Amino acid sequence: MPISPADSSQLRETIRTTLEDGARNHPAARATSEATGNIWRLVEAQLVPVIGAHGLDVLFRHALHQTISAYPWLAAVEDRGGSAGPLPSLMACLAAQPAAAAAEAAQALLFNFTEMLSRLVGDALTKRLLAPVWVGPPSPSEQEITS
Amino acid sequence: MSEKVTIRRLATGVPGLDEILGGGLPEFSFNLIVGAPGSGKTTLVHQIMFALATPERPALFFTVLGEPPLKMLRYQQQFTFFDPGKINESIRFVNLSQEVSSGNFDEVLARISKEVEACSPGLVFVDSFRSVLLEAGHKSDGEIGLQQFIQRLGIHLSGWQATTFLVGEYGSEDDPHPVFTVADGLLRLGQRVYRNSMVRQMQVLKMRGQATRPGMQTFRISDAGIELFPAALVRDDTGAAQQAAGSGRTKARLPMGVPGLDAMLGGGLPSGYSMLVAGPSGSGKTILATAFLAEGVRRGEPGVIVAFEQTPSQSRTPTIDDLVRAGKVGLINTRALDLSIDEIVQRLIGLIRSTKATRVVIDSLSGFELAVAPTFREDFRESLFRMIAVLSGLGVTIVMTSELEDRYTDLRFSPYGSAFLTDAIIVQRYIEIDSRFKRVMAVVKVRGSAHSDELREFDINDDGITIGQPVRDYEGLLTGHAARTSTAGPLPRAKTR
Repeated sequence: MPISPADSSQLRETIRTTLEDGARNHPAARATSEATGNIWRLVEAQLVPVIGAHGLDVLFRHALHQTISAYPWLAAVEDRGGSAGPLPSLMACLAAQPAAAAAEAAQALLFNFTEMLSRLVGDALTKRLLAPVWVGPPSPSEQEITS
Repeated sequence: MSEKVTIRRLATGVPGLDEILGGGLPEFSFNLIVGAPGSGKTTLVHQIMFALATPERPALFFTVLGEPPLKMLRYQQQFTFFDPGKINESIRFVNLSQEVSSGNFDEVLARISKEVEACSPGLVFVDSFRSVLLEAGHKSDGEIGLQQFIQRLGIHLSGWQATTFLVGEYGSEDDPHPVFTVADGLLRLGQRVYRNSMVRQMQVLKMRGQATRPGMQTFRISDAGIELFPAALVRDDTGAAQQAAGSGRTKARLPMGVPGLDAMLGGGLPSGYSMLVAGPSGSGKTILATAFLAEGVRRGEPGVIVAFEQTPSQSRTPTIDDLVRAGKVGLINTRALDLSIDEIVQRLIGLIRSTKATRVVIDSLSGFELAVAPTFREDFRESLFRMIAVLSGLGVTIVMTSELEDRYTDLRFSPYGSAFLTDAIIVQRYIEIDSRFKRVMAVVKVRGSAHSDELREFDINDDGITIGQPVRDYEGLLTGHAARTSTAGPLPRAKTR
């Protein structure tokens, strides 16, 4: 089931906050790139045990393919992916862009990826799996657990 | 140190499974779930996992090379038991594909051990374990062999006090895999396809330390997951169940709701008896059975009807419709053609218990036979025997109808030879007298009781069945060669159809 419009705007806001939070400790030129790298490493740590490295790779490439239509310069990531995985290439690509464009593209890529995962395994499970990735107020379910 | 260890049995959360396992799943046991693709193995282990996993007893689910995890998660969450809230809280998925593709048993074992030690799970699942064996077995560099690997894994997981499930396809029963000997429990899932019907079955081949239910048990997969319908037990060696079968029988007689019929039966139908009402199509069997239920409702005795003959859109008799709508009679209405008798019996027992029913109608055995999957039809008679015995054990009084072809060459009461299974029989027939179709009925048998031996004419009108006078002055009515008795005078001559 696709994410509802309300959830969609909340997800965009969560991604933006997380990226900004992650970028805070890095020099301006590489801030978005480093923050994006950290977020994707967290996503990898969360998802590889569940869906496997291959499953993650396929989803990432699909999300990237979708995002390229709005940010054509991301096509370079695919070209430079190689066996080490696409992350170093993505980070280099973002670092080469103006800060605002890099932030927008990084957010769009994360949003497309999350939405795609949600279409496959549902909103509830996606939220549950990726909860440790995002910065922000604890989700309602986490509040229930700790209270 | 004379105290024996007590093995705790875990409730699996799969309706009917604990019953066939002999009381639940032994804690810390090493179990194999085997069966062909599509037989329900993954669904079964997921259902067990979601039922048993808690933060105090976490579960580790190792996915290997079988079903892609994304697809497994996508489809499994269609079941109501799938609770996303448990993921990463009490259930952790671990993908082993990397280690397995390396082809080294050592690496696979090391990864499983590492995860188990990190998480201290109470439950461990490996789906599919066959993938581990195939992949690693082909590429093994010989550091440790397959048997050794399985033994080490078994020892390791038992040492960590994890109840373990290995899921996979392991060939046939004739060619048992070495892993079978290590396992404490072995469940085989399968599908029997016959013509257009498919029946799912499960068998407990082994469960150390407890008495399991023998034979194949049928199950169904619905939105709620797997539900088993264990074959009802009729009696055990001690005769305890048999004793229970007689428990519902008292000296009380149940009025049938048809004026005059109670007198024919010698004072009503004895409580706890099973009665067969046999007759040709349209003779009034359902109306008689309906009267029996309606009379019960009038007397505060709830009833249940299992209807196979009519679709829900076809109006049943108004009386039954009203009683069902008012919640006074429970209804099981099915036209599915892939049922097992055990499934019907389980549903019926559930309804009898929930409605506290004392009167049960099965309308009809002919429809029942059609609804049963073809693969079970050859066992229909035995299954009927079991069903009647189980229902008798519940203390209910049963009326079953049976379609009977009007034959005049022999006198039969049921095509299933079920007549001897029942305690009482009423037969309905058509006869022709003076160029008119007439209905007659007779009480053929009421076990242990005097009863009428008259052939009585009866009519069906808006008020139901009206029993008339005995048919006198004719003989041979049931043979097709009826004739006036010599004392009745000359013509008109009567002929049966």
